[in-house]
Amino acid sequence: MALNPLRGRVAYIFDEVNFDVDQIVGVKNIKITDVEELAKLAMQPYDPDFAAKVKPGDLLVGAGNFGYGHPHYPPMKAMRHLGITGVIAESFSPGYWRGEISMGFPQVSCPGILGFVQRWDELEVDWSTHTIRNVTQGTEIAFEPPPQSDAEMIEAGGLVPYLKRQATEQRQQKGSEHVQGA
Amino acid sequence: MGYTITEKILARAAGLPAVRAGQDIKAKPDFVLAYDFPGYTDVYFKTMKEDFGIERVAEPERFGIFIDHMVPTATAKEEELHINTRTWCAENNVPLFERRGIGHQVACEVGYATPGAFAVHFDGHVSQMGTFGTLAIGLRRNVLEAFVSDTVSLRVPHTVRVNLRGSLRPGVMARDVFHHLVRVLGPSSCRFQVLEIGGPAAASMSTEGLQTITGLAMFTGALTAIVNPDPVRLDYALPRARKKLDPVSSDPDAEYSAVHEIDLSALEPIVVVPPTPADTRDLTEFLGLEIHAGYLGSCASGRLEDMRVAAKILGGRQVKSGVSLHIIPTSQELMAAAAREGLISTLVEAGAFVSSPSCDYCFGRIATMTANQRAVSTGTLNVRGRMGSPDSEIYLCNAAVVAASAIEGRIADPRPYL
Repeated sequence: MALNPLRGRVAYIFDEVNFDVDQIVGVKNIKITDVEELAKLAMQPYDPDFAAKVKPGDLLVGAGNFGYGHPHYPPMKAMRHLGITGVIAESFSPGYWRGEISMGFPQVSCPGILGFVQRWDELEVDWSTHTIRNVTQGTEIAFEPPPQSDAEMIEAGGLVPYLKRQATEQRQQKGSEHVQGA
Repeated sequence: MGYTITEKILARAAGLPAVRAGQDIKAKPDFVLAYDFPGYTDVYFKTMKEDFGIERVAEPERFGIFIDHMVPTATAKEEELHINTRTWCAENNVPLFERRGIGHQVACEVGYATPGAFAVHFDGHVSQMGTFGTLAIGLRRNVLEAFVSDTVSLRVPHTVRVNLRGSLRPGVMARDVFHHLVRVLGPSSCRFQVLEIGGPAAASMSTEGLQTITGLAMFTGALTAIVNPDPVRLDYALPRARKKLDPVSSDPDAEYSAVHEIDLSALEPIVVVPPTPADTRDLTEFLGLEIHAGYLGSCASGRLEDMRVAAKILGGRQVKSGVSLHIIPTSQELMAAAAREGLISTLVEAGAFVSSPSCDYCFGRIATMTANQRAVSTGTLNVRGRMGSPDSEIYLCNAAVVAASAIEGRIADPRPYL
């Protein structure tokens, strides 16, 4: 798998199970489309200085069934704008998972992650061995390999580039079959 | 080891002799469904042309488009969206169902719920087609794959089996069965799996009740729900079926990741407390809480049995002054049937606002609540802001509780009225 490893600090730990991601920007702001504005509102109830502390490459950590409810896209758009490069959770709600994978946003399902990290630990996610290294603590934990199509979608950078790549491959395959047939 | 109904349907759709849960496959959906909504269908139509050079879909009979949101329109922009949808369907010769009712119900009425078929949509409530042995999965934006290629990529899901036995007592309905499942199995119990409903009480349950249960499957984390089609369901679905397929069922020795037994006789009415579909509690804990609005409708509820129980409770009584009760039948077919039974006149005379089918009440586009208002609702969801202000509240419950609460102006027990 040609996915690039993720490397960054744990910028926040959402330890609530069934976490509704809309809370990140607040339901009353969910229809805002301007990403700068969303980024300013993000995380206010959790850590008002979040935007100042976060660095490009940082990661989020979540508990079980992360993204339950009726997830919308703006919260994670805001998070990506602030530099977050992925979410690692104990487990994910399928609707949220599909939505964010289709945006090309890496999601890592890792039972045990909550007990494995503390806020601001430096992590490295290795897709080839399906392990997360806690660089700060010098420990390692395995994560669940994503379905192949989800890994390919993350690698391609989202749904549309993934489907374009697939269409090209299918055309090439048909072309070569045609040549063989002739 | 036998196969689940899900494995059988996906094996055929993938063109393989057999598939097993956990296998990554590409499967060709028999049906690709969507309702028009900004950011979804308008984007698919544009992306198909501009990014994939697809001017016309190859097999229009596989598709079905519904206009059920923003019905009737409130702005010119909404009407433009609908015009765009009508144009695309006409150009592509794709069936369009406009103002026929909420799409997931209409899809069953017009034969997309073909037993044994594999269907995809972006919206997960399409799972209600599982009542008829159709595997119907909501893929969110990824359903675009089905618009630009023949197949969709997916991992064959495992199955959680729930066996229902016993019978529901008066005042307890299919809604309570589903909310009870969330309570005892948990909101992540079926994550990425299929919820298969069976057992003796499933066979004796109404089709409408099964649609309610399967249509809400996503709140257990399930990708969809399915029922092995029995004679009652086949009698409904086969004459309407859009494709000639052999119905399939799970083998007796199929492998399930978990099997749960539920005794319906033991159930009580449940309310789902805001702001999460996971918080299922006994109705009796919340009796007396003031309400301002009642909503009986949605793709999950709003069918004949819901309107019948509401009419029974509201007949000869009045909705409390100051309470808005909206009763919105799920489809035109159901509304006409309710009118023929005399249910509509009973509900209207009791003071209910009864309107033609629309999705718009369920997400607060109309009948919008303001801060500090509280609704009892048979809608799908009770998250903050779902029916208006983020500072309003939605208590989900069955149709009988909505009707009784509308009379009393507070959360009420329907059983004394029955």
